[in-house]
Amino acid sequence: MKSGQPAITVENLRKYYGKTKAVDGVSFEVGDGEIFGMLGPNGAGKSTTIEMIEGLRVADAGLVTVLGYQQPKDANAIKERIGIQLQTTALYPRLTVVEILDLFRSFYKTRKLLSTDELVRLVDLDEKRDTRSKQLSGGQKQRLSVALALINDPDLVFLDEPTTGMDPQARRQLWDVVQELRKRGKTILLTTHYMEEAEQLCDRVAIVDHGKIIEIGSPAELVRRYFTDIAIEFQDRSADADTFRQLAGVSTASAEDGRVTLYSSDVPRTMAALLERESTGDGKLRDLSVHSATLEDVFLKLTGRALRD
Amino acid sequence: MSTVITLFRASVKEFVRDRGALFWTFAFPLVFIVLFGVIFAGGGSANYTVGIVNQDGGDVSQQIVGAFNGIKSFKIKSGGFDDELSQLKKGNLDMLIVLPAGLSQAVHADQTTTTVQMYYDPSKGQADAQIKLGIVQQVLDGFNKHYVTQLTPLALQPNSVASTNLTFEDFLVPGILAMALMQLGLFGTTMPLVSLRQDQVLRRLGATPLPRWTLLASQILLRLTLALLQTVLILGLATGAFHVHIIGNYLALLGIVVLGSLAFIGLGYLLASVSKSVESANGLVSAVNFPMMFLSGIFFPIAVLPAFLSPVVRALPLTYLGDAARQVMVGSTPEFPILVDIAVLAGWLVVCSLLSLRLFKWE
Repeated sequence: MKSGQPAITVENLRKYYGKTKAVDGVSFEVGDGEIFGMLGPNGAGKSTTIEMIEGLRVADAGLVTVLGYQQPKDANAIKERIGIQLQTTALYPRLTVVEILDLFRSFYKTRKLLSTDELVRLVDLDEKRDTRSKQLSGGQKQRLSVALALINDPDLVFLDEPTTGMDPQARRQLWDVVQELRKRGKTILLTTHYMEEAEQLCDRVAIVDHGKIIEIGSPAELVRRYFTDIAIEFQDRSADADTFRQLAGVSTASAEDGRVTLYSSDVPRTMAALLERESTGDGKLRDLSVHSATLEDVFLKLTGRALRD
Repeated sequence: MSTVITLFRASVKEFVRDRGALFWTFAFPLVFIVLFGVIFAGGGSANYTVGIVNQDGGDVSQQIVGAFNGIKSFKIKSGGFDDELSQLKKGNLDMLIVLPAGLSQAVHADQTTTTVQMYYDPSKGQADAQIKLGIVQQVLDGFNKHYVTQLTPLALQPNSVASTNLTFEDFLVPGILAMALMQLGLFGTTMPLVSLRQDQVLRRLGATPLPRWTLLASQILLRLTLALLQTVLILGLATGAFHVHIIGNYLALLGIVVLGSLAFIGLGYLLASVSKSVESANGLVSAVNFPMMFLSGIFFPIAVLPAFLSPVVRALPLTYLGDAARQVMVGSTPEFPILVDIAVLAGWLVVCSLLSLRLFKWE
């Protein structure tokens, strides 16, 4: 691969299952060294897309270039050079961590393979080296699965929903592994349906729904693009939404069960007006919070759906 | 090639650490032999039907015949040599004693040693042969003491003749071996393969540069190794504990074991190809296993089955593997010529392999 060339180029990728348009004309690029996330609900077409790029599924139409090679024609050359972590983590249940790593190492012809020691340290499984895989916890299995994706020391790593079903602590541990890979200059394509994960890890995200990409950009950029206003939230039962909408700087307001949410284009003026109301005894500001919109808000706005599983 | 070995070693470890698989592969067939052996053994009672061919007709030979008649456990049948020998071969006689012409005269003359020929079936086992030999030798020794001389007037020459009348164990053991090879092909191939696919291990392997033939080769190598280990264990138990006399050629047996295993591994792959889940595979394998166990002449000769089942019996590959194993191991009367057995098994192997190649799904 020439430097400066994108690690992945996808043009108009398509995969239909009968009438279901699993992937319906997807195009994007992933730059060298970039961490790129595909964000979307279950069934949005993220996994199908990533698997066509990996060469595990054949596309109905479209062009996929990976590290300068063409899918599906160069599938074998690509498999030597990329690392794949699959959504499912089942492995030989009665083999130990070290045995599984050694087995998978024998599948690659490449000379520059990572040693087992290096791999178990990288994914923090040093203490579980001789544990059979069926005795590992969900998070440990997932990290072993990531280790398998790193055996051939690939420049490009695919992580398909790497933290699905994990508790928060296990999720953080896996994020640490991804940050370590970033330090090593790896290009990563990951799918997730966790907003927080995309915001924490990704340089850029593509928001996917119904087989199409509806937006691409860095998390901060996307939030700025859709939300110039800042949210102000507090508890107050003294007035309805219409009253709050009259306040200076407020663009929209909602009040439900005493919880008031205002979006303001001018926070200092809105705050001044709220404090004025309080001092005249018209209202009380309890549990006040002021925050900018998140990717979650962007997703809600774009798809009309919340992204919680 | 080294990847095949690495994969093979990994699957051996997986197998050895799976107690269930170990039991079904190795202990189960042995349990069958012991169970059936103990239930049906004891047919070899201490009563012997003995044929005597008296070619002499002198006084000494008459006395010898009389002495044999006096032995309680001997039932004597006299006749000509050819008739009696064919009776022995058919299994109607337990042994045949031939008193040669000129025996009486020679004993009286006290010049030469006369040899009494004894024929018996070695497949009844070494212990059985020793008992018969011992009794006959005792009778002759009695005469030798009576006609005390420098020379030993009568010597015994034992001859072994294979008969077609096999003991129950002779019949059973090759059948159990065939059954074990079949079950290795069905339960031991279909089930692990379907669960590898259901757990998406096959898919994970597909995400590496590993060529599929490598995986296939290591899987088949593992099954063949297990088949040979089963054969050795079954033969060991049969000859050691049940005195089954293996008279066949071990190389021919090896050939039959390998061919039979491959045919059933092929069938196993075919069943795995058409099974969607572990549960459906389990049902399918049991549905194939059950009729084979009881309609292929594994536990009893196919001749006892009703005639209307004959087309089914002839369609089952296990019928041919059982027959081939019996012919090669204990020299039983063929149900089919051995070449037919081989051709049918090879046919199943080829057809199952081709269908599997077409139908097998990796995910």
